[in-house]
Amino acid sequence: MADTEDAGTSSVSEPLDLVRLSLDEIVFVKLRGDRELKGRLHAYDSHCNLVLGDVEETIYVVEDDDNEEETIRTIKKQEEMLFVRGDSVVLISPQA
Amino acid sequence: MSFFGFDTTLPRDRASLNDRRGFFEAPDPFAEVARARAQAHQDADDDDVIDFEDTYDGLGDQLNDDQDAFNDDTFGGAGGAGPVGKDFDFFGKTAQVADAIGEEQFRYSLQKPGVPAGAPAAAAQPPAETALAEAQPKRTGYEKYQDPGYIPDLQAKSSVWGMPSKPEPTSQSQSQMMSQARRMMSLEEVEAQLRRQPASIPTQLPVSLPHSMPALPQPIQRVHMPLPEDFPQLPPEILQAQFAKGVPPQLLHQPPMTPEGYPLPAHAPNMPLHLLQNANLPPQHMVGPQRQAMSPAPQRPQQQQPPPPPQGPRGNNTQQMPVITNAQQLMHLTEEQRMAYFMEDAKRAKRNHKIFLLSKGNGLMTPQDKNFITRIQLQQLVAAAGNMADSDAEAVLAEDFYYQVYSQIRGAPRQHPHQPLGHFAQTYLLQTGNRLGGHGSRRQFQSADNHMQRMQQQVQRAVEAAKQKPKNKQLIIEGSLGKISFSNAKTPKPMLNIKRPESSEGANSAKKPHTDLSLSDRKSVLTNLEGVYSTLMEMEDMERTMPPPPDENDAEAIQKHMEWRQNIRSLNQKLWRELKVMEPIVPNTNTPHPFIAFLSYPKGKKAIPRIFRHIDQEQRVTILTMIVVHLDSLDVVRRAQPVPGETQPSLAVREAIELFSQAVMPSLLGYVNEAPFNIIIGLLGLVIAQTHVQMVAKTRIGLGVLTMLLSRAEIVKEAGQATERDWQQWVEKFNVLFDTLEPTFADIFPSSINAGDDMYVWQFLAAVGIGASPEQQQRLVIAVKDRVMETVTYSKTLPADMASQRLNNVNLFMRAIGLDVELLG
Repeated sequence: MADTEDAGTSSVSEPLDLVRLSLDEIVFVKLRGDRELKGRLHAYDSHCNLVLGDVEETIYVVEDDDNEEETIRTIKKQEEMLFVRGDSVVLISPQA
Repeated sequence: MSFFGFDTTLPRDRASLNDRRGFFEAPDPFAEVARARAQAHQDADDDDVIDFEDTYDGLGDQLNDDQDAFNDDTFGGAGGAGPVGKDFDFFGKTAQVADAIGEEQFRYSLQKPGVPAGAPAAAAQPPAETALAEAQPKRTGYEKYQDPGYIPDLQAKSSVWGMPSKPEPTSQSQSQMMSQARRMMSLEEVEAQLRRQPASIPTQLPVSLPHSMPALPQPIQRVHMPLPEDFPQLPPEILQAQFAKGVPPQLLHQPPMTPEGYPLPAHAPNMPLHLLQNANLPPQHMVGPQRQAMSPAPQRPQQQQPPPPPQGPRGNNTQQMPVITNAQQLMHLTEEQRMAYFMEDAKRAKRNHKIFLLSKGNGLMTPQDKNFITRIQLQQLVAAAGNMADSDAEAVLAEDFYYQVYSQIRGAPRQHPHQPLGHFAQTYLLQTGNRLGGHGSRRQFQSADNHMQRMQQQVQRAVEAAKQKPKNKQLIIEGSLGKISFSNAKTPKPMLNIKRPESSEGANSAKKPHTDLSLSDRKSVLTNLEGVYSTLMEMEDMERTMPPPPDENDAEAIQKHMEWRQNIRSLNQKLWRELKVMEPIVPNTNTPHPFIAFLSYPKGKKAIPRIFRHIDQEQRVTILTMIVVHLDSLDVVRRAQPVPGETQPSLAVREAIELFSQAVMPSLLGYVNEAPFNIIIGLLGLVIAQTHVQMVAKTRIGLGVLTMLLSRAEIVKEAGQATERDWQQWVEKFNVLFDTLEPTFADIFPSSINAGDDMYVWQFLAAVGIGASPEQQQRLVIAVKDRVMETVTYSKTLPADMASQRLNNVNLFMRAIGLDVELLG
């Protein structure tokens, strides 16, 4: 928000401009390592580093049970505020 | 024969004194000379004490004593005896004293310039202090190694604990002692001898120190310090000789090398004499070797120097104590006096020790060194401040936006936080310059001045460089195919160099039809929102750079101000466009007005207070009108409609309502409170005409807006500002409103009595009640009577504070129509 440089150019001219539209909105973020986040997007940068608030993190864990069958277990965590490093972000989606 | 050719014959095996070569192969000629001279003096019946300096031809100073003096340290301190084999571990042994060696070298290099090596001979003997200062470093830190009981392998040094170490076989220690005594009498030894025989100092025998030591009739045995009873007899005349010369033995005794600590008064009789002697010395004699090395005292011919007269109790020893020049005197003192002396000495020794420790690093840096460091620091300061000389506020803002905004919000007095830093650097430069410049007559002036110039130049260069850097982001080497981009933390290297199309306006206009079609779809609303925020930031930025109010005579300032105003105006227009307030209202559609859609987003609501700061009254009333007209389609009204079966709206809606009442309502209220009456009338008319009043009234925000209008009208009426005609108009509208709402007065409350806060309802009812005619008031009371009674009853089941709160809410309304809950008792 600090850059006043491209102020006024509110038109969408690069992919991250779309992410900008989701500022202060609830977004769904898919991460590497079978993780998903859902939370309010507070900030992002060109590396897709994100700051999210009121985040629900879902981790999918594949487990082998006794019968050699794979079951998927989900772990859910709730975070008040989260910094996500951009290199793990797979997708960002507005949660309308 | 031992490994190093030491004489390994033990003393008891030695035939005679002459054969006793001691520790090292090299014979000590001085000892012989000294002894001979001493003999001669004695023969000549010279009742003067033989001065050590007299007999000492100074050649000893040229001896590289420190080269071999510590061989026993290195090789295990076991004399020339067996332990040193061919497989001697040089490294291990050396490593044990590595720190001491390092210290030694350091000290030596420090003192070398002060005292030219080997210069002083008997003819020009350096004063005692200097000579001693020279001698000191050679002995630094090694006293403990002279302890025959010292076992180098042990990590915990016994001397640290002040405990006696295990004595070794006498023969070995004896032989070591011989050689050591031959070299030099350590102070501990002297001290120990004294302790042994404090009261029986015989007539002074002419002896020379310390080379004659081996020649003394009594065998000298190396003993352990804390065990005086182990000490053999040492003729105290040695000490006498030294004392008579006024040589302060304390100087030999370096504070850090007194691990045995400072004797307590309990040990008074065994008090080391050198400490007593020291009591008479002015403190400056004990500062430490550095001081002496740095400022060597003028050399006086030692030969002619008479023994200094007994020094009075000057210095810090100002108690009425008799001057003590030898141990005998001490013996004559009373116990208390002695105690006082010891205490005094212990204190002084402690202090000296402290001073020594502190002064270790003294004089390491020359003024030039310090200046150099300052330059480095200053340069870093400049670099850290970035382009502080650059008055480009933009850059500063970009560097530290949040602090800037924060300080602005806090009303911090300094507008430019970079200024103090620059100031600091400048004043520092100035001050230093003055200070050094003031000493024009000084010898160093030239170099100092140069230094300042260089420093200033460096700062200038640094500033230049900082300014230049961002500009040359790329370097194109001729003939090369690519460009080299520079990057740093502030301006990362651009990986893609895509030129923004100049005709971005054209691109937009191409899109425009599309966006116009769906002005209220999510994406375009969000895009509008971002546009609004960008413009807002730009405007806030403009505010920061507002030029000072122009002086009438300053055409340039006026021009600047005009330009600024022009900019603000255009930004304001831009903001206004982006808000889409003036988009035509399309009746009977499902898509909300763009501005209302704008307001349905949290960030849209949050933007309102910021927008209101930058728009004029007309624009404000337009926004207010827009909100009022669309009151029933506001998300906070539409979605807040009570749903049967649910006591309150969903959490998200409640949050939205909360946000709206905190962000938007104050702005609207701020305008309404100053709005002219006819606008209030018009707004009320709009509510009635354009919205579903009954629906609006069922929501908190809707009631809030209505309350706002009603109370403003009441205030206008109370103030008598309303014209008769206006008032008539108002009453008309009010009546319509009242009639419309009357059937639903009971429904405007939250569905359940315990569904939380209903104060806003009572506030609204109070606003209605005040403006109502008596007849309307009656109808009002009838309409809400049930709720009033319900609340009063309910409040009786509540804790006292909550009950009174609920009753107070009801009272808001009751008092407005001239009643009180008390009456309902």
